[in-house]
Parts: sequence; C-alpha cells; structure tokens
Amino acid sequence: MKVSLYQEKETPIHKLDPRTKIISSVFLFVCALIFNHPLYLLALFSPLLSILLLFRSYPLIFRLKYVLILLFFFSLILWPFFVKGENILFWIASYPIYEESLYYGMAMGIRLVTFVVIGLIYVSTTKNEETMYGLIALGFPYPFSFAIGTALRLVPSFVDAAVTIMEAQFSRGLELETKNPFKILKILSVLAVPMFVTAIRNTNMLGLSLEARGFSPSARRTFYLDLKMRPKDLITIFSVLSILLFCLYLRVFLGKGVVIPGRI
Amino acid sequence: MSVSFEELSFRYKNRGSYALKDINAKWVESSSIAIMGHEGAGKSTLCYSINGIVPHFFKGEYSGRTIVFGTEVKKSSVQEMAKKVGLVFQDFESQIFSTNVELEVAFGLENLCLPKEEMGRRVDFYLAFVGLKELKKRDTATLSGGQKQRLAIASVLAMEQPVIVMDEPLSDLDPVGKREILEIREKLKDEKRLLIIVENDPENVLQMDEIWIMKEGRFFASGRARDIIKDVPLLESAGIMVPKHFIFFKGLGFRDPPLTFEDSIKLLREKCLLNGNRRFFELNIPSHFCKDGIIEFRDVHFSYPGSDEEVLKGINLVIREGDFVAIVGSNGSGKTTLAKHANGLLKPTKGAVLVKGKDTRSYKRHELARTVGYVFQNPDHQICSRTVFDEVSFGLRRLGIEKKYIEESVEEALFVTGLSGYEHLSPFLLSKGERQRVACASILALKPQVLILDEPTTGLDFVHQVKMMEMLKKLNERGHTIIIITHSIWVAETYAKRSIVMRDGRIEKEGPTREVFFDEETLLSCSVYPSTLTRIANFLKTKSMEPEEMIEELKNEGLLVPGKRDPNS
Repeated sequence: MKVSLYQEKETPIHKLDPRTKIISSVFLFVCALIFNHPLYLLALFSPLLSILLLFRSYPLIFRLKYVLILLFFFSLILWPFFVKGENILFWIASYPIYEESLYYGMAMGIRLVTFVVIGLIYVSTTKNEETMYGLIALGFPYPFSFAIGTALRLVPSFVDAAVTIMEAQFSRGLELETKNPFKILKILSVLAVPMFVTAIRNTNMLGLSLEARGFSPSARRTFYLDLKMRPKDLITIFSVLSILLFCLYLRVFLGKGVVIPGRI
Repeated sequence: MSVSFEELSFRYKNRGSYALKDINAKWVESSSIAIMGHEGAGKSTLCYSINGIVPHFFKGEYSGRTIVFGTEVKKSSVQEMAKKVGLVFQDFESQIFSTNVELEVAFGLENLCLPKEEMGRRVDFYLAFVGLKELKKRDTATLSGGQKQRLAIASVLAMEQPVIVMDEPLSDLDPVGKREILEIREKLKDEKRLLIIVENDPENVLQMDEIWIMKEGRFFASGRARDIIKDVPLLESAGIMVPKHFIFFKGLGFRDPPLTFEDSIKLLREKCLLNGNRRFFELNIPSHFCKDGIIEFRDVHFSYPGSDEEVLKGINLVIREGDFVAIVGSNGSGKTTLAKHANGLLKPTKGAVLVKGKDTRSYKRHELARTVGYVFQNPDHQICSRTVFDEVSFGLRRLGIEKKYIEESVEEALFVTGLSGYEHLSPFLLSKGERQRVACASILALKPQVLILDEPTTGLDFVHQVKMMEMLKKLNERGHTIIIITHSIWVAETYAKRSIVMRDGRIEKEGPTREVFFDEETLLSCSVYPSTLTRIANFLKTKSMEPEEMIEELKNEGLLVPGKRDPNS
C-alpha cells in the first residue's frame, strides 16, 4: 500500500532542481505571510491550487480533505474571538464579533490551507532524497540534511506500520466506528503498544542497517543523483522572487492586502 | 583465510546463556557456506559477529577473535567492516531505507564514494540480477514482501564486498526467486568472494560447498554439503528438516539417497522395475469439496487508493466449509490482497466478496471477525497486552462476551495452540514461534469458522513449523476452514487439501493440491517450484505426494520391485 505523498510523474515541476523547489516554496510561504486580507490570499491560493489540480494530484487533496476543511473552519471560527476589529457585526454571548476579525479569520484559514497546498506541491513532486541532496547543495551540513531526509522517510513507514497494526486489531474484533471520545482514546491506547514496539524495533534496525552499509554522517561520500541548475530553474526562481517582491511592494509601499493593520 | 573464528564466545548483556560459545572455524575465499540450526541456535549472532555489529552495536561479554581478511573485527568499526562484509538482515523490511528502488541500491555505493557512472552500472546490474529491473523507479513502500527482500539483497550485493553474509535471505521469496538468488553462488565463486548463508531448507543448500550446523550457540557438525544433507540422524537431532525424498528412498531400502530429481530418476530406472505405461491418476474428490461455499469471490477487481494499477484482476473463487487451502504464487501476485478481501479488510473496487452469502460491504467489521479470523505474518503487529491471557481474550472482551465463556474459550485456544500454562507470562518475552502461536490463539478464541494465516511458518525453525502446521491440521479436523498464504512449498504439498496458484493478480490454477502440483508447467510459470519428492511423484504418477503412501501405492500395484532393472531403460 502506498502511503507516501510523492507522485511518480513527469510534470514540469518534477523536472526542476530540488534547490529551485526548496527556494520557491520558501518564497511562496513568505508571500502567504505578507497579506492578511482574504481576497489577496485567495489570489495567491487559487493559482497554486490550479497547479496541484493541473498535475492531476487531486487524490492528495481528496486524502487530506478533512484536514483542509478543519483548518479553514477552525481559523474562521476561532480567530474572531481573539482579534479585535473596528465594526461590530454581532455578539456571541458577551463577545463582540467584528467584521474585520471575521475577514481576518477567513484570511488565516486560507493562509493555512495555502501552506498545506505549497507543501503538497513540494512533497508530491520531490523525493525525500532530492530534498536531502538539495539542502546539502544549498550549504546545509550533511548530518542536518540527512536527519531531515530520515525524518521525512520515517513518516510513511510509521503510517504503513500503523495501517497494518489497525488491520491486525480489526481482525480480532476491534471496532473504530464509535463516536464516543473516551472509547476512541481507549482504542488508540490498544494500537499504541504494538506501534511503539514496532517503532523502537524498526528504528533500532535502521541504525544497524545504516552502519552495516558503511554510513557515517561525517565521512566523505559521493552522490547518485545529479543536481543541475538549468535555465528553467533560474527562470522559476526569478519568477517566484518577482511575485514575492511584488507582494512586498503591495503591502509595504501601497498598504494593500490588509484587513487588520499591524498584524501578520 | 577470508573469515576465521578463534574461540569466539558472546553473551548478550543481561542474558543468562551464551549466544555463541567456543566458535572455531576457518572459511576460505571462493567458497559458499550454509549455516543451519534451530531457533535460538546463535545463527544471527554469528552473522553479526562477522561485520562487527557484535560487539560494537550489541553489547555483552565478548571473548575470542573474529578475523576477516586480516582485520580483527573487535578492533575495527562497523563502518570500516562494511567495506569487507555485506550483510543482508533477516528483518529485511527495516533494512530498506530509501523511498525509491534505485536510490536504495545506490545508498551503500554512495558511502563507498564510488563515481556516478560505476554506481549506475551496479544499480542496473544488480536490480536485473534480482529481477527488479522493471521496478527501478518504484516507491519502496509499494513493493510486496518478496520484492522488498530482493531489493535488500541487491543493495548489499551491489557493494561487492569480498564477504557476503545473508541471514535467512529466502524466507519471503517465491520458490523460483529462491533459486535465482542462490545462483549468485557461482558469480561470487568466480570473483573469489566468500558467501555465507543462513538457511534451514536442505533443498536450498544442496549446491553449497559446506554446511555448518549450530546447536545452542556452538558448531555441532560441519562438512561437505552433500555429506551433511544425507546424514538424516544428524539433521533430525539438530531440528533440521529432512528432505522428503530421502524418506522415500530410505523406505525403498536405499542407504545412500540421491540428492537431486535427476539422480532420483536415474536411480529408480537402474535399480527398480518401473512400468513404462503408468496410468494417469484419478482423483477421488473428498466429500468436503462438495460442501457449501462459505466465501465466494465474484469477478473481484481491486486497486489500492491513489493507484491505477489493478492488484486483483477478475477473481472468481469459492472456498468451501472444511477446506484447507494454500495460496501460492510469485512475489507481488496478489496473494495477501486476495486473502484480505475474505475478512473485509479490503473491499473490491469491482465485483463482490460474499461471506456466508452476504456481501462483505454490508458486514460490520467485528461481525466479520467472528466468522473469518486473520492472523498476520508479524505477531508483533498484534500483541498489545501484558499477559498471554489478556492477549488471547482481547477480542472476546471487545465483543462484551460473558467472563465465564471468555475463560473457557481462552483455555481451549491455549490448549489447541500448545500454550496451556502460559496464561500469566508476558507475550513480549516469548520466542517468535511462541508469539506467533499467541497471535493465532487470540484469533482462535473468537472461534471463527474460517482462519486465514499469512505465511504462518516464516521465521520459524523446522520443529516449530511442524508444530504450527499440525495445530492447523487439528483445527481443520475440528471443522475450521483454513486458508494459508505460503512460499514454503512443502507446507502446501503436505497439508493443503486444495491449492490456489496466483500470478499477476489472477488465479492461474486451483483445485485439489495433488492435481495442482501435477501441473509443473503452470507452477513454474507462476514461480512455484515443486519439491523433489513431488517431482518424483509426478514422474511416477502416484496419487499421493507422501513418501510412505507413495511406496505403498507402487507396491500394491506391483509397479515397483526393488532389485530388478527397468525393462524400459
């Protein structure tokens, strides 16, 4: 069963150098932090979502649909209680709900979902190993890059083990189809023991296996994957940088894209 | 001398007994060594002591020396030893590190600082060697168990160290895959490299140069492979499987049984009267085949979410009450996926699976668990309780069953699995074989009509394999329907009443086991290689594949008269 989010395809984004993808993702993250107006964030979010859909990665969106919906609605509902605006729209008990804070909540929801979409575009088009190689090429130390790559690698492994453990428990009558949160907690505690045992054993074995194949974080090594910055990489970085600069210009010099001034 | 052990002893920290005791051996380059022995004999520890994992990673009381190409292992790091010794672990799944097949093979080569061109050459060569060339770009998480084992082997072989150690590298491979991997022996011999394999099936180690048998941490016997394999009392006393065709030839009065199928036929022709016009056997279909179907697959197709590739392609199958079914086939052919449909863990993307006439889609999970139990390959994915009693009663407690009934059911399940008296022990402290039986008992306590077991004998030594299979046979006699997925062909040949052979998501052949194993051509096309005795039975066209019954059959029909020459030869 496939649990990792990487999609083996030949899209233009797949063909970009991982450094380009890392730098562009960071720039786009910053762009999403510049505005707190829902329309401006929507203008950033829409083309990103289109990219994801254009490359037929909608199964990823489908898999994460509940997370995305929860993120958006939690932001929309919770932020208005914590951020003050100017025009009171209505009251909930003794709490005033401002028009601006409602927009701000909406903007924060879009921002979070935008972060997820940027992340999805990145992980669905970049192998863990490419991320590691990219970080090394960007000047990060090898042990740090290797640790990031390993952490990313272990996520799908643990998810895979968790799926098998859940299947094993279902096979002897464990029922997850309950809405009682206490029962769910009890069920999760049952799953936790074998998951913990499996995680410890696998991590131990992984350490053994790495050493047995001559791995040493400080030793010199060669690289199998070739990283090469091509003109299309430079064009991509330049384009995303232009978007970032344009966003900064709108916010800093023209004061656009803000519903609540003084907040990110 | 490539590898030598001098009075090597090792005891793991906080353990009472020695894992290795007074080990002495000298193995030269260009040779192939098989290590055999019972569970806990010290085979894996011996492997670890060759590349330095013992004593550098696993700490304990260490004395004596292991020397590999002039380097004393204790005085060198594991990373340094990795340049001389390649090790394929028994637990191959956790050995796989990368997200992509080619990158997994390249990982060790990067550590050796090889140039990119050389890495590319070796990646291609060794992936082709283990039959994974077509899967070069695949995500490792999507590989089947056997494919992962092939990948683990390729990633070690590619490092081309002078010593290759493989700890039970064939456990999850289909029979043809096993033979392909063992062919590495010739290549390594030509390259003057040493091959050390831990393997417990004698038929797989016939072609090795030497066999060393371990018992309770010591070398118990050693010698030329052909001599050791023929020493039936020695094999039996070490808890190692005796090839069944030896029993057949011993039964016929031959002191020196032939090793291979070809030798067997030659001997039968030379020494016995064989009727050249043997009849084709007719099978008496046992009455249970006519019973009602308990599980029915109707044109079942299945793809995993997010994948367009079909893993099952139009399966039509009926499992009847009282069946004992073995599912065999090549790695990645869809055996586990098929079995998971039978208890509703997976639902078809097209078609339907009916359990007792009702679609699995309309069952609740716990309802199905009471009818169809599924024992997973790895018992550690299941065990979660502090005592064996709690573990075995887990499912019953979940279902809210009365305490008195729970106690009775647990007692019965423990008795059947040979675990009576283990109630208050911690399941985590038991051996792998015992944990596997605990996992089985916890499903049995639910008294499911159908019991599915995924590779029930993997990781067990021969004595425990027989115990496990005899237990299943007993359950089947009590009326349980048993379905096993196995790569262990002797298990299917000996115990299954019916066999299903799969390839590429389809059922290529199914029927009574004798009939299925008579069709060697289809079996081979599905990467299933019958045992030597089965091939002899097919040559003789006997109804049975069991040695004693075959002899009886041939004698009763007057077709086999020892001491006379075959007139047709």
